[in-house]
Amino acid sequence: MKSHHDQKFRSIEGIQQGFEKAGYVCSRQIAATLYLAYHLEKPILVEGPAGVGKTELAKTASTYLGTPLIRLQCYEGLDESKALYEWKYGKQLLYTQILKDKLNDILNGAEGLTLSMSKLHQYDDIFFSPHFLEPRPLLKALQQEQGAVLLVDEVDKSDQEFEAFLLEILSEFQVSVPEIGTIHALSKPFVFLTSNNTREMSEALKRRCLYLYIPFPDTKLEGDIIRVRVPDLSETLRVQMVSFIQQVRTLDLKKVPSISETIDWARVLVILHSRDLNPDMIKDTLNIFLKFEDDLEIVRGHIHDMTEKAKRGF
Amino acid sequence: MEKVLQNLIVALRGSGVRISVSESMDAMNAACLTGYSDRKLLKDSLSATLAKSQHEKEIFDTCFERFFSLDGFSDTKSDSCLKPAAGLGKEDSPLSTMLLSGDNAGLSMSMREAAQETGINGIWFFTQKSLYIQRILQAMGQEGLIQDIQRLNNEDSPFSRQKAGTLKAAKDLLFENVRDFVEQQFSMFAGTATEEIIERYLRHMKLSNLEQRDFHRMHIIIQKMVKRLNNLHSRRRKRSKRGLLDIKKTLRESVAYQGLLFDTRWKAKRLDRMDIMALCDVSRSVEAVSRFMLLFLYSLNEVVAKTSSFIFCSNLVEVSNVFEEYQVEEAVVRLKRGVGLGIQLGRTDYGQAFLDFKKKWLDAVSNKTTVLILGDARNNYGNPQTDILKLINERSKRIIWLNPEPRSFWGTGDSEMDRYLPYCYLAKECSTVTHLERAIDFLLGMGG
Repeated sequence: MKSHHDQKFRSIEGIQQGFEKAGYVCSRQIAATLYLAYHLEKPILVEGPAGVGKTELAKTASTYLGTPLIRLQCYEGLDESKALYEWKYGKQLLYTQILKDKLNDILNGAEGLTLSMSKLHQYDDIFFSPHFLEPRPLLKALQQEQGAVLLVDEVDKSDQEFEAFLLEILSEFQVSVPEIGTIHALSKPFVFLTSNNTREMSEALKRRCLYLYIPFPDTKLEGDIIRVRVPDLSETLRVQMVSFIQQVRTLDLKKVPSISETIDWARVLVILHSRDLNPDMIKDTLNIFLKFEDDLEIVRGHIHDMTEKAKRGF
Repeated sequence: MEKVLQNLIVALRGSGVRISVSESMDAMNAACLTGYSDRKLLKDSLSATLAKSQHEKEIFDTCFERFFSLDGFSDTKSDSCLKPAAGLGKEDSPLSTMLLSGDNAGLSMSMREAAQETGINGIWFFTQKSLYIQRILQAMGQEGLIQDIQRLNNEDSPFSRQKAGTLKAAKDLLFENVRDFVEQQFSMFAGTATEEIIERYLRHMKLSNLEQRDFHRMHIIIQKMVKRLNNLHSRRRKRSKRGLLDIKKTLRESVAYQGLLFDTRWKAKRLDRMDIMALCDVSRSVEAVSRFMLLFLYSLNEVVAKTSSFIFCSNLVEVSNVFEEYQVEEAVVRLKRGVGLGIQLGRTDYGQAFLDFKKKWLDAVSNKTTVLILGDARNNYGNPQTDILKLINERSKRIIWLNPEPRSFWGTGDSEMDRYLPYCYLAKECSTVTHLERAIDFLLGMGG
């Protein structure tokens, strides 16, 4: 990974601008962490509430670098054969059938079991060679010559066994396949791990990563994000809707609206050709960023005040 | 600069952030990359390498600000200090020269150097403060300053008397500054050291001897303990159940062996998370400990999903909802007073409590339930209703009894402990936090 992209990771400001061009507005802290991760060759563990753009960050990184994004979605029960590699059993079987005659040829003339065995041993591992290896996301990421962005999504959902297994890849960028040996990364991938904090990650894992916490953005940052993602939205409406969303976040809700939901709402406002916020329109579109009946009930009670405030410039 | 970073790391560790050697190396590399010129950038990059959770981030932020605060030498009476700047004499000591010329930057530097020499980051107790103040002053050359003042006092001219006065004022100011500095260093390096000692002491203290002022601290200790134990045991372990073949998996494995069932796979069964019913005595005989028992129940309620809690005295009531509704302190007070719960705080009646339990909640007891009883089994010579306990024992997975009295007291006087004992899977003395921890470790280790 290193030499290919040095130009793109020369300065923190450069990263910020490059990401913005790719459609992701990142705060200085995020840019600084990316910069460090690249130069120290460390994975980044990204935490934060749902919908603040953790996964999006990795996607944008891959666009920015122009390398493939390899994604591994974690879930309970995920194991090596789904994350790392599996043998192509079918292919192995097929090949042994096809090569049956060839086997006869090879063994032709060999007398006795010992002799045939020793003859066979000359070809010993052909069926357990890289040709029959089905690479899964982790191995695939190591095999990319131009480097890759590896996204291990929602790592907190995986079992602890799997977390322990990740350690080797994260620190050494290598994996051990018993039949073949150790496979080193051709080019070190840029690794993102995301976590929603459903459980605490182990010390060992944290130690190997840089830690990045993405909180909900402040008014200015959120405004910038909307500007980049939904450029068709008029400036006045953008300011108003961001102010409205920020107010909603201060209420005591079951689930506060995330950035992705703000973006969705902005898109809806564009489709509806809204000029400015008005309570009726908000009432109709509340369900875009609120996903619980109780929350809807609470916000409905505040719509008028909050719209007023948002219009006055909060 | 490396030394400074190391000191920052020591301070962070002191505040409870766990930092490994490899992480501190990362931090050094990061600092080399970003340089020290941009304060915010340095903070961001150190934060990314050193603080690994949201909680640690907060600690890091305050620690960083305090550590790198620009505490220049403050001189409130600078005017009086600076006036006789012209009166510098050749025989003045370096410290006096700096004080007289108002060289604040130089003073600050020299103070930090002196602090480094005396090893301020080894400060542990507040009693050491004055020692360190003296040491730093000495290292800065206080002696020369005192000599200067004495000499000037002896010289009998108005100019030197005035100069001596200025120097004296400057000396007091210097002392104040050094004291503030040591104070600040102390809060950075020693805050948790003292805390740790108190904590260790509290863990082994009898719960009944604890005082009101330790209540808050105790709560933190218990919470920490429950969280740690839960972390340790919350992992759902799979226990393989030999004897049931997992056909699907075995067939899939067998493809590699030409369909021969070579590598057999067995079905695994997940162990269930535990289900606890806890009964806590809140009568007067256990008054001193009941608050901690309740505290403990509260924490247990927070981390173990299926817990139902009951308190009893003359009768038994369910209180799980109180734990869920109120903050810990309010909940404990409410339960101790029994406000609006329908509990009668008269004579302790274990028999009645068991009868109530049988009547209303016995149906909820299944073979997965662990019944936890916290109490001293002092029944005021009433009917102990041992047969109900026997019934509960038969229906539940097990009964665990934690008694605040030492074992030698069991069965003496009106204690019915000996009669209850046969039906308990485990009965233990539980009078300190360490006891509590061991009992719960055992409880969680059994998988409920």
